[in-house]
Amino acid sequence: MEAGTLGAGQERSLGERLANLVNSVNDAPFGVKAAAGVLLLDLVLLLADRFPDSALEWVALVAIVAISIFALTALERRPALLAVVVLLNILAMLLMLHDLQSVSQRGINGLSLGAIYALGAVGLTLVYGILKLVNFAHGEFLTFGAYMAYLVNVTWGVPLIFGILFAIATTALLGVALEKLMWAPMRGRGAGMLQLVLMTIGLSFLLRYGIQFVWGTELRQLDVNVTDTVNFLDLRIGRTQLIVVVVGFVTLVATGLMLRMTLLGKRMRALSDDLELAEASGIDTSRVILWTWIFAAGLAGLAGVFAGAVTQLQPELGFELLLPIFAAVILGGIGNPFGALAAGVLLGIVIEWSTFFVTPGLKLAVGFVILIIVLIIRPEGILGRARTV
Amino acid sequence: MTEPATAAAPAPAADTGARAIFEADGIVKRFGGIQAVDGATMSVGEASITALIGPNGAGKTTFFNLITGFYRPDGGRAVFAGREVQGRPPYMIARLGMVRTFQITKALSAMPVIDNMMLAAPNQPGERLRNVIFRPAASIRREREVREQALELLEVFNLAKLADQYAGTLSGGQRKLLELARALMTRPRFLLLDEPMAGINPTLGRRLLDHMQRLRAEDGVTFLFIEHDMEVVMNHADRVIVMAEGKVIADGEPHEVRADERVIDAYLGGAKVTPPGADGEGASE
Amino acid sequence: MSDPLSAFHLAVSFSAFTDIDFWTSVGILAGTYAIFATGLQMNVGFTGIFNFGQVGFMAIGAYSMAILTAEHGVNFWLSLPISILIAIGFGLIIGLPSLRLRADYFAIATIAAAEAIRLVALNARDLTNGPQGIFGFDNSWNSVSDSIEEFIVDLGWTDVPSLFPLFLVTWVVAIVLIVGFSRIQRTPWGRVLRAIREDEDAARALGKNAFSYKLQSLAFAATTGALAGFVLALNLKFVVPDEFQPLVTFIGYVVLLLGGLANYWGVVVGSVILWTVLEGMRFVELPLSETKIAALRFMILGVVLIGLMAFRPQGAFGKREEMVLGD
Repeated sequence: MEAGTLGAGQERSLGERLANLVNSVNDAPFGVKAAAGVLLLDLVLLLADRFPDSALEWVALVAIVAISIFALTALERRPALLAVVVLLNILAMLLMLHDLQSVSQRGINGLSLGAIYALGAVGLTLVYGILKLVNFAHGEFLTFGAYMAYLVNVTWGVPLIFGILFAIATTALLGVALEKLMWAPMRGRGAGMLQLVLMTIGLSFLLRYGIQFVWGTELRQLDVNVTDTVNFLDLRIGRTQLIVVVVGFVTLVATGLMLRMTLLGKRMRALSDDLELAEASGIDTSRVILWTWIFAAGLAGLAGVFAGAVTQLQPELGFELLLPIFAAVILGGIGNPFGALAAGVLLGIVIEWSTFFVTPGLKLAVGFVILIIVLIIRPEGILGRARTV
Repeated sequence: MTEPATAAAPAPAADTGARAIFEADGIVKRFGGIQAVDGATMSVGEASITALIGPNGAGKTTFFNLITGFYRPDGGRAVFAGREVQGRPPYMIARLGMVRTFQITKALSAMPVIDNMMLAAPNQPGERLRNVIFRPAASIRREREVREQALELLEVFNLAKLADQYAGTLSGGQRKLLELARALMTRPRFLLLDEPMAGINPTLGRRLLDHMQRLRAEDGVTFLFIEHDMEVVMNHADRVIVMAEGKVIADGEPHEVRADERVIDAYLGGAKVTPPGADGEGASE
Repeated sequence: MSDPLSAFHLAVSFSAFTDIDFWTSVGILAGTYAIFATGLQMNVGFTGIFNFGQVGFMAIGAYSMAILTAEHGVNFWLSLPISILIAIGFGLIIGLPSLRLRADYFAIATIAAAEAIRLVALNARDLTNGPQGIFGFDNSWNSVSDSIEEFIVDLGWTDVPSLFPLFLVTWVVAIVLIVGFSRIQRTPWGRVLRAIREDEDAARALGKNAFSYKLQSLAFAATTGALAGFVLALNLKFVVPDEFQPLVTFIGYVVLLLGGLANYWGVVVGSVILWTVLEGMRFVELPLSETKIAALRFMILGVVLIGLMAFRPQGAFGKREEMVLGD
């Protein structure tokens, strides 16, 4: 019987060789991959910007790279710290190439963008983790919230703070209604994940174009002061932007504390970890799921108002934010709300800093490239636990 | 990088008399902090029917996954017919002639039974795109041969009249047989069966065992099978390897193993002699 | 020759339901989406990979053709195969890292890749002329179109719609693709794809290099995406980034699911039904503004998608035993 030695040697097509190459890259130790990645990143930064033009700068560059790589290889098993090292590496590179003022100016813009991403991501990651629902309609929650605030703030002429509260409440209500009407029945039928994904896409159409049906496509503005700026240490910060950053971060911290300290928060995380185990240990899962929707949609509504306040309202507002929010979810490790919070803020800053190198129109593309790179080198996310992916 | 074999490792298979077709040396796999397979060492004689037994959680299925490429071992060597196979992708290992089945059957439900079988046949030029386009005749010729072989094999397993049914409509036992027949379609030299008898009725089970004996006698096929039914193991295997807690703790002829203190301890220590089909380990795929 | 009638932005007034110009352009649209979704069918219905970035391949195809022809003076007919190869190249670049990911990660990674392509098209002005887009790549096609038109006039049909030649070519391409894909699906190669859809591990255990086949399947999708991009470009007579929104991929999924999974002819059924209904709605007199009607059309699309997935996960005309999304 020679049947055994079938084609082991001769059948090696290009595809197979490529596959083996990818395999060997995947199998490299994580620290080495990270170090190589940072080297590459720094090289890209230099190519996109400029090479050092003095001896001092060369020394600084070598020091930055050496310290980063040393730190990365030392921290191989601490992915969260590793992410901080990468961020510090970028910061150091930028400070070497540009001045402190412009780096912090864009950093502040990044913070407000990051707060919006983080607020959107924390709900999306909980729904993803707990219900295994990849919710492509989450962006429309943001849009919905923004238009609800518009309704109160502009149409009815009531101060924005009431608009914000109204937006949070109505978006949370929308989340609950959809859970009752769509997701609970579909779960009962044991629907598959991709079936549900396509349903969320349908829902996203329905909501987005429902909003377009009512309010049209024209750009709308909330009644906020967009020109006033606050001067602080040479930085010009828009007043609205400052409010978004402050309120955003207060909410983020409160969210984090709520998840860590309260019984409900602990239960949400328990469900996200292992729904069946949580069910078996006597947690009233349907109640927790309902609260998760309230929480996820409410925060998304708030994020939507913020996004509308710093830019303008249009029906695609939330959909345009969805992919970076997904990126934050994956970066933070699916189902990990703390990861989503941190990754959202990080992503916002990095995306704004990327405008040192690319035109602002491409900054989102930078976010997508980061997403794809993370999916390649660490699909379980920066803060996620390693699982089979 | 290879961890030394532990003291508990038995002597290699010199005492079987036959040449070893497969040898594993110190295979290690960790999941998080757990050592699922902890330096498993064994050798399987050519044209033998070897049973792999052990209490639940002993690491038997994980071991299968490691040597067939579905998991990457953290250490150790596995050699099949003179070639190292550890760390190779599953499809390459399968093409070498080392083919496995799964504990939870993987019938391709939305494909007809006959397509399940024909899929498995090796040397089908029509599985490569450029042959499909430039040498369609070779593909069609091979399809005809393969279909005949497939129908013959299905006959052996009483599945011939179901050839055109979707595999999803088959009963659990029939699926198990289909998976085995499909593995045989690859013309393997070394077949690894994960609980082949679980869930099929005794008559068919006997047929299956007879067929294994015949393949071994006529074609020199080697079998390594995980089994919980001690009667089957004692009466049909010419050699038994026992695993517990990720290690091989005994290796010998059935009557030797049955008398081995360590084996009895392992089973009693593992609380119970498990019934067939209840193995919960390694089901994480 | 240059009729400003563009399929995506119909601004023509229709006096009658039987307006042949109108239905010709609807037919081109349906054919474009049939081509577009044929590759999706191979991915979703026969390989079980959830490509959400199909519009990216369409963009690459259309832009490559337009850039090569209008900016670099490459022969139009030569630019087509080159553009297909470029699209396949992108398919490999996207597929190599992402095809080994879990299905949900793959879906997000592909949609992100397609969006990255669109954003580059929008911003790399030197290459793509930014939001203004690229014109003037279709002279060779126009002369062919004219000869087809003359030929038809010679046959005795005098008032041939100016887009009728494109309509013919689109559907010839669609039918050839579908016949070809259906045939290739019945070969041993296609059988391996179906096995991977059913259970990747089983296929690997039988000696099939699942990854390589998934990559090949994605390359086929890239090809049909690029072809759909050519038709779109010739139809609009320009290539702009705005035509390559993620929405296009999602409409492709609606087409796929309406027609049913695991059947290439299904995309024809799905595309014809979808576009007949969506465009036919223009004849329903509604006391609404243009924007509201446009919004309403997409809301209906959303409801169709939700309803299909809730009640018929195999697609409207799909065979339940062959391919179901829900499990």
